Amino acid sequence: MEGKAPEVRRGHVTGSGRKLKDNAADWHNLALKWDRLNDAGSTYATNIVNFTLQKESGKEASLLASSGGAADAPPVQGLNPSSRELEEECVKLQDVVEKMTRVLSKMEKMASSDQGICALETFQFGDEGRPTPLFHTWSTPHFAAVSSRLCESYRQELSLKRLILQEVAHTSDPQLAMVYLSSWLHQPYTGDGDRLLLEGLLLETGHRPL
Amino acid sequence: MSTHAVATLHQQLRKSFRALADNQRAWNSVLAECAPLLGSLGNLAEQLRALDGVQIARTPLARFPDLRDRLRCKLLQAVDVVLAKLTEKTESLQTVRDAVHGLASAAFQWYEQNADLLDLATCTLRSAAAPSIAELLEWLQDADSYYRQQFLRRRNLLQMLRPDELSELESAANWWASIDSPDGDELISEMLFRVAVFVDSG
Repeated sequence: MEGKAPEVRRGHVTGSGRKLKDNAADWHNLALKWDRLNDAGSTYATNIVNFTLQKESGKEASLLASSGGAADAPPVQGLNPSSRELEEECVKLQDVVEKMTRVLSKMEKMASSDQGICALETFQFGDEGRPTPLFHTWSTPHFAAVSSRLCESYRQELSLKRLILQEVAHTSDPQLAMVYLSSWLHQPYTGDGDRLLLEGLLLETGHRPL
Repeated sequence: MSTHAVATLHQQLRKSFRALADNQRAWNSVLAECAPLLGSLGNLAEQLRALDGVQIARTPLARFPDLRDRLRCKLLQAVDVVLAKLTEKTESLQTVRDAVHGLASAAFQWYEQNADLLDLATCTLRSAAAPSIAELLEWLQDADSYYRQQFLRRRNLLQMLRPDELSELESAANWWASIDSPDGDELISEMLFRVAVFVDSG
């Protein structure tokens, strides 16, 4: 998942293979983009919680100032909460969610294009499908299945993030606020399985050397 | 020949103290890298505790019935990652401890093998430019014992931590800091300062 996918060797693969290979590279890049948006959103969400709790308690929000760390967003301390600043952070978080929505929509288009390739192959080769795999071992429907599984994970994640966006500025319960931040940051609906699928996709299509 | 023996031992001790200075820097830089990791452990423990404390079904998150299990799993994985990093750091600390122990034992071994050539008066003789051989050996031994104790205490603390023991994870950073021994580190710095002229003279 680190770094850009290696340059696609143009002209090496054509037709359905070309399309699947390009989609694999897009998956990789969109997943990276998503992660970058997630990090940015995490910082904004942390700021929102700090502002809200500071307002509530009328003192320094100590709880969430320390919600930073290894994989955690940096803590924010010593800021004077004001409605305007709170609103600014909310707008930034909303912007992140909108960008994520656009990323998901591109992912859905890719999943649908992989489905389309499957349908085309059924048309060309019948229900048995293509006799030999396009790349190494994956059948074309397997590509479509992987795309749609990844889409489903990101869809769940986005739906959780929309809820966090709606609620995070409206809770005075520090524990619940912490759970919101935790849920945003650690992305419970995209797991190691998805990461493996994505890596598998890159390996299969030759973006990663076998 | 006593003069030759003294010169050889002095040369060896100079090398040992130069290496000790390198090891002190290495030790302190590893410790500096550990502090944020322990902070992360505390934060993750706090997040796990918050997750335990919230009744998800009574919050807007109720729409995500499997959230608790999934988030817990993610948080525990994150704890594992931090613990693994800390284990790596412990190995670096162990390398420093072993190196310092090696310096002290090599110097002592040489001294013991050549003790016949080094009488008491020679060993306790000090000058403005050089501490006595006895002092130099003693300081190396002090450094050895300081790093050995520090290492054991830190390793024991890390070995005690378990991903599901939240209160221990939360306290880890404080415990870790309480092992810090400013006096001990000061002792090493001071001995390096006192041997500076001697080390540079060789």
